[in-house]
Amino acid sequence: MKRRVLLQSAAGAALLAGGGMPAMAQSRAETLRYVTGATINTLDTTMFGATRESFGLSMNVYDRLFRFGRKKVADYWVFDPDKIEGELAKSYSISADNKVITITLRPDATWQDGTPVTAEDVKWSLDRAVSSKSLAAPQFTTGSLTKPEQFKIVDAQTLTVTLDKPDRLALANLCVPYAIMVNSTLAKKNATAEDPWAQEWMKTNTAASGAYIVESHKAGESTVLRRNEKWAGAPGGTPPFFRRIIIQTVPEPATRANLVERGDADLSIDLAAADLPTIEKSAKAKLVSMPQTNGFTHVSMNTQLAPFDNVKVRKAVAAALPYDDMFKAAIFERGRKLYGSDWTTPPDPSFPQPIPNKADPALAKKLLAEAGHPNGFSTTFAFNVGAAATAEPLAALLKESLGKVGIQVEIQKKPDAEFNTLASERKMPFFADGATAWLPYTYYFFYLYFTREQRWNFSSFKSTKMEELTLDARYQTDKAKYDDDCLKMIEIFAAETPLIMLWQPNHDAAMAKSVDGYTYQFYRQADFRDLKRV
Amino acid sequence: MLAGIARRVGRRLLASIPALLGVVVVTFILMRVLPGDPATFFASGPSAGQAEIEELRRTMGLDKPIPVQLVRYLGDIVQGNFGRSMTTGQPVVLDIKRRLPASLELTCVALLIALAFSLPLGVFAALRQGSVIDHAVRLLCTLGVCVPTFVSGLLLIYAFYYLLGWAPDPTARIDIFSSAPPDITGFYLIDFAVTGDWEGWWAAFRQLMLPAFTMALFVLAPLARMTRASMLAVLGSDFIRTAHAMGLSRLRIVVAYALRNALLPVITITGIVFSTMLGANVLVEKVFSWPGVASYALDALLASDYAPVQAFVLLMASIFVLVNVTIDVLYGIADPRVSVA
Repeated sequence: MKRRVLLQSAAGAALLAGGGMPAMAQSRAETLRYVTGATINTLDTTMFGATRESFGLSMNVYDRLFRFGRKKVADYWVFDPDKIEGELAKSYSISADNKVITITLRPDATWQDGTPVTAEDVKWSLDRAVSSKSLAAPQFTTGSLTKPEQFKIVDAQTLTVTLDKPDRLALANLCVPYAIMVNSTLAKKNATAEDPWAQEWMKTNTAASGAYIVESHKAGESTVLRRNEKWAGAPGGTPPFFRRIIIQTVPEPATRANLVERGDADLSIDLAAADLPTIEKSAKAKLVSMPQTNGFTHVSMNTQLAPFDNVKVRKAVAAALPYDDMFKAAIFERGRKLYGSDWTTPPDPSFPQPIPNKADPALAKKLLAEAGHPNGFSTTFAFNVGAAATAEPLAALLKESLGKVGIQVEIQKKPDAEFNTLASERKMPFFADGATAWLPYTYYFFYLYFTREQRWNFSSFKSTKMEELTLDARYQTDKAKYDDDCLKMIEIFAAETPLIMLWQPNHDAAMAKSVDGYTYQFYRQADFRDLKRV
Repeated sequence: MLAGIARRVGRRLLASIPALLGVVVVTFILMRVLPGDPATFFASGPSAGQAEIEELRRTMGLDKPIPVQLVRYLGDIVQGNFGRSMTTGQPVVLDIKRRLPASLELTCVALLIALAFSLPLGVFAALRQGSVIDHAVRLLCTLGVCVPTFVSGLLLIYAFYYLLGWAPDPTARIDIFSSAPPDITGFYLIDFAVTGDWEGWWAAFRQLMLPAFTMALFVLAPLARMTRASMLAVLGSDFIRTAHAMGLSRLRIVVAYALRNALLPVITITGIVFSTMLGANVLVEKVFSWPGVASYALDALLASDYAPVQAFVLLMASIFVLVNVTIDVLYGIADPRVSVA
């Protein structure tokens, strides 16, 4: 019954908003129409199954304590994980032993319902992230944030976060989409005995303080946002340019491209590769492309299954792939190569970086013979339907060139849910996939993708040395030692070849010529707060 | 006669209950047999591990054996609870309540357009058998059925929206910058008409035309061909020759005698076409961003999202039953002999 009343009032609010239409038509220039193929399935990002599109919405609607700054790379803006700024926090300090973070809140910050933001609200939000059953808790453990006792209120504007060990990712974890700051008074009103953290209510309602207020939300159709005129977190005190944001689900990529090209929509970030050249030539639209600095496309081999448990076989595969052809056919060279370098020791501790892999069929044959497969072997190669546009040409070229060295490959195209299940159960011997790390620090990449038995260890890689190095790097406060650990991890990676890095695909944002300031964000969604019309 | 119809409808509806139950059980089992685990799919956020997957499986009730899940599900259905969609985050009933009118409105309008074109075309083709008109109709039908709806849809968009700019942008049921009508029936054309908002009605109508024509084009063939064939059969029969001999007007013979008798198979095929359109218009819905039930079910299916798929199949089965019953009734009107039996 309660749900029904809520829904009716939500519909009423949408109707009222509809009444103001003529005024809104005038402000088309101040409205941003964003079209996407995906669906926002929850207003609470921490919910299981939250789509990437809901992360993007949440970043614009909710504030976090901190956020990443941005930097210019070539002509474009990219997020900067090394520059952490306060969002709801005004300032912070870290104790000499790197274990206590003292956070001072913005004194003028208010929730979207007008009530002031207090230290109690922030404590409740952090407690919610580590205590409730959600995706936030496992993410927060990567920053050693695990229990409510770590968050203490000092006074109305000040809190401390205490760590057992000086975890280098504690602060960065407070910037991620899951680290939402919630109006606890409002949320508690809608909590129940079985649902003390108001998770059910927050799926369809917001209790936020961020730059935009959700005006209406129809899952799978459209979501309308209105600018929060009292947003305290505005960088430099300048509010975002756009007064109104319309997020619309348009499943067909060709239609999205048409809309942007004709100037009817202002922004889309998930167009088909085939439509991009048209956008580049268009009179009304432009393309902003930059490599996804925190991502990588790869070919993984299950290091626990024969024949890929033999490092020589993995290296043979790495030597047999036609990298340049794949780069051309799969993503039309729109990205950064992660192959073809010449080093024997890594030049710098950054990751992902180009790995010394090259197409060399003679070497591949030699390695196969040494591994005891002089006549090759047969295997299967899988990819998911969702990635077919790039994975299909990739797989075809891989099959052809591996065939030349004697490895017979059967290509398997799997529906997304099945692919995910198989990956999670580690049942695929050989497959292509992509990955992006929210926190693009070298240690985090290796910790997430090359240690422990878990979903994201694509190749089921097991190495005691790698485990030790990531553990040391995590709590290492000496920068030189940390860099040294990272170099060693990259060396192990290159020597063991658990998976083959291919490239960082471009993030392609198509937008109206008049839109400016687009920033590539680690969660790969549009940040409306940075955008303006010029 | 009315009592007879009511009795027949009641009997048919009652007889369909076991079939519907079977559909529910089969879909339920089929979804669980298909590879792909929804818990794994939906819990695959960054850094989510086995513990999260198990937790999600527990909240979704997937940790219980399948028979237990089935009994629970049947119990829930009886109470009108169809579960929650993971893809939209909403209860399935709410989703379908909002999306079904969109699909029905599109399908009904498309069917009306198809009938408005196919009946005269079929009749003309039959009257002028072997003529240029006959061949032209055959060509049109072949084209309509050969070109997949997403191709014809994209072509229509390209021509009428992108090049000519006559049609509004092909997204959703109404221009995103204007407001939707109050929710009375869910059919925008009816709701706008009821509230007297003719500007809105025109906007919704314009938005509806391209997808409706795309769908109509696809079903033109079965309807026109069936009309032609059945008209030919009737036109060759004795009573038509008698009517000619009696000197009745040509119009009267064709419309009142031939067409009425030729309609019976056309009605049957219309029913089938309607049901197919409703379920199979997923491509049209996708191309035109039409927020209907078919694209909703497809998204859910790709994500192994059980609840919406099961509800969708049950919904389609129920609609199929209703359509068949309606057709039975229409039979009786077209040919009174049927209702005697």
